[in-house]
Amino acid sequence: MFVLVIGGGKVGYYLTKELIGSGHEVVLMEKDKDRANQIADEIGSVVISHDGCEGKYLAEAGANRADIVAAVTGDDEDNLVICQMAKHHFDVPRTIARVNNPKNESLFKHLGVDELISPTRMILGSIEQDIPVHELLHLGALGEGELELIEAHLQVGSPAIGKAPRDLSMPEGCSLFAVIRDGIATPLRPDTVLAEGDKVIAIGKAECGPKLHEQLIGDLEAARAG
Amino acid sequence: MPSELSAPPVFRRAVVALSGHPNGQRLIRLVAELAKPYKAELIGVHVVEIDWSMPLDMDLAGRSDEIQQVLDVAEGTAEAAGVQLESVLLQARDVGAALVDEAVEREADLLVVGLAYRTKFGGDFAIGKTIPYILKNAPCAVWVVREPIPEETS
Repeated sequence: MFVLVIGGGKVGYYLTKELIGSGHEVVLMEKDKDRANQIADEIGSVVISHDGCEGKYLAEAGANRADIVAAVTGDDEDNLVICQMAKHHFDVPRTIARVNNPKNESLFKHLGVDELISPTRMILGSIEQDIPVHELLHLGALGEGELELIEAHLQVGSPAIGKAPRDLSMPEGCSLFAVIRDGIATPLRPDTVLAEGDKVIAIGKAECGPKLHEQLIGDLEAARAG
Repeated sequence: MPSELSAPPVFRRAVVALSGHPNGQRLIRLVAELAKPYKAELIGVHVVEIDWSMPLDMDLAGRSDEIQQVLDVAEGTAEAAGVQLESVLLQARDVGAALVDEAVEREADLLVVGLAYRTKFGGDFAIGKTIPYILKNAPCAVWVVREPIPEETS
């Protein structure tokens, strides 16, 4: 597979190294000449010292025949431009962008980036797993990025407590498939009665979020006030 | 010259870069003369640089008469000097890296490259990126042969 990696920071460097180690053909583009030379010294002549945001340099790097373009610079705007050019000018089948600001995720998706990797979101998710939250927890993206793995922690006031999945009105395109109770994960059957403290794992489209929240989390503040 | 031959050979196996440049023949003659008394092995390598927009295994070099001529001329020049030269054609992303890799693979103890030097217009000296790469990365001795290219006709 021919992979074009844009951005020679830590992520791009290690990504390139791992891909080469796995036997893939890789080109790394890094606009900083000194950094590009430093990487080339370490991993060989696979580094092009140019700005990947410019179409002519993407062409020079072989974007026309790339199977994947991974834009992993530290700049969301650059990553978006790179993926858009790769997709629309060079017909790259798969574009992957690093998104540093989670607020940019929807924009990236809307503009046709195939896959998003958000380190911020991942770290946030990891932190949220250890602290009580009253929101749905996004565990990760699946497929081409249009599906999300979501966790809901059922707490006092949740409308789902005492109910079975078949009694809940799930949004279309979303399904509950596992429950974690006392640290043990079990498949969620239609007649499993949910209890306080359960962590329910769902898979669904991002737009299912509000309805899922309503069914599993509910309006906790209102419940407490009541 | 028995006294010279009793000394250890300057090199046993040399990789010679074949650039296809007019200087190439002089370079081969020079290396061949040094190789002859010791029966040192000569490997002439011509590298065709393929840019990233094309797959590396695309057969570009094999179809070119010009490239074939570079190899034939190199072999002929060495033969005329009484030395056998094995010619090798490589397709690579980077000439310097390909030459160094070949030297490593063949366990060459010498890598010879030519450096064309334009004398007209005061001589626009430029060493390029291949030679610095080779000097930095080759595991063996490197000879850079710098000669003026023939005068251009105005």
